[in-house]
Amino acid sequence: MIKVVHYINQFYGGIGGEEKADIKPEIRKGTVGPGMALKGALGEDAQIVATVICGDSYFNENLEEATSEILEMVKEYEPDLFIAGPAFNAGRYGVACGSICKAVKDSLNIPVISGMYPENPGAEMFKKDLHIIETANAATGMRQAIPAMAKLSLKLVKGEEIGPPSDEGYIPRGIRKNIFREERGSKRAVNILVAKLKGEEFETEYAMPDFDRVEPNPAIVDLKNAKIALVTSGGIVPKGNPDRIEASSASKYGKYDIEGVTDLTAETYETAHGGYDPVYANEDADRVLPVDVMRDLEKEGIIGGLHRYFYTTVGNGTSVANSKKFASTFTKELVSDGVQAVILTST
Amino acid sequence: MDLENQKRVLELSEKHGKENVVVVLGASEAESAGLAAETVTAGDPTYAGPLAGVSLGLGVYHIFELKDEVDADVYDEQCGMMEMVLDIDAIGAEVKSIRDQYSKF
Repeated sequence: MIKVVHYINQFYGGIGGEEKADIKPEIRKGTVGPGMALKGALGEDAQIVATVICGDSYFNENLEEATSEILEMVKEYEPDLFIAGPAFNAGRYGVACGSICKAVKDSLNIPVISGMYPENPGAEMFKKDLHIIETANAATGMRQAIPAMAKLSLKLVKGEEIGPPSDEGYIPRGIRKNIFREERGSKRAVNILVAKLKGEEFETEYAMPDFDRVEPNPAIVDLKNAKIALVTSGGIVPKGNPDRIEASSASKYGKYDIEGVTDLTAETYETAHGGYDPVYANEDADRVLPVDVMRDLEKEGIIGGLHRYFYTTVGNGTSVANSKKFASTFTKELVSDGVQAVILTST
Repeated sequence: MDLENQKRVLELSEKHGKENVVVVLGASEAESAGLAAETVTAGDPTYAGPLAGVSLGLGVYHIFELKDEVDADVYDEQCGMMEMVLDIDAIGAEVKSIRDQYSKF
């Protein structure tokens, strides 16, 4: 018999809604709430021996304490499988499900599973650590979520081979697996292209990561009086790269004074970037960071002025998270320095 | 269906007997009407409320299905407007399908 412990929040535990979200974790024998449906879907081979119920606010406000309390409760039942949720699009519930699943997996070394709507922040945080079945955004999707979670969790606990996300219904975990294919890559690529041109369905073999889109701000009305700054991910730095910005996967950015500088020359500036042929940027760094042209525009009165500092980093392999962190820091400086617009150049 | 209403339905059916209770819905969409109908017959499909795992099998109708049972003036005043703007056929079909499957009374 496969012993299962199930985790749910105070709402599904029948304790209450938001007003009860601060309750501490408790464990009850047998099934509670969605566990009833899970029990049916898991079938005869598995038994939900206990259900942990914890308030969403309590868990998220006392992350470490709640995790270790729950872990102790779960350990007592010596489960073979741990299931949390489904949390649908409930953010704090999703984060709680993901955190506790990861903790159980790491410390008890048993299979864990949860279910969430792909936009649940818990899905983004934990999809790499565990299998999360993709669900609808609300509890009305319970009927579809439960059988899918039960099916995949039984496969996990029995050590069966887990298929790709599209077959098993879990949120892609970013894992690539080598497999043998009958047809070589070039032929498959052409087949995909032909299908695309014909408007037929096709499945990419190399899914692009999801990047959020940034809505452009309204255009500058009064360019003549606007202070413009230059920012680049093209790695332009003063000669010698004084802050040692890495050639790839940069962990920092630089801020350099260009007061009085009208032209970047081979003697004064260079690129730290390791992802493109640096010859032309080293010969004339204005090609990447156009200080010379900006000075012309300044002189001609087309722009109000060029900001005294430029900000620079290396975009080569640098994570989106790091880039966001850099920008959130220096954007505040730019705004407080009265900069109205930024020209962002890449390579 | 919210937890309070589930509790009320459960209490009323215990008090008066399941065969003596009929639930009349006023939901404005087929999906939500169907979910409410399922809750009071097969049990709460979201497994969150007092009717999770409780199959009451109550009689359940949408008010649009009961037009002929209601005083025409009252119906017109209370439901006439919504009858014009909502998809009453879809709502009726959804509730009927749930009723046919799970209602025991």
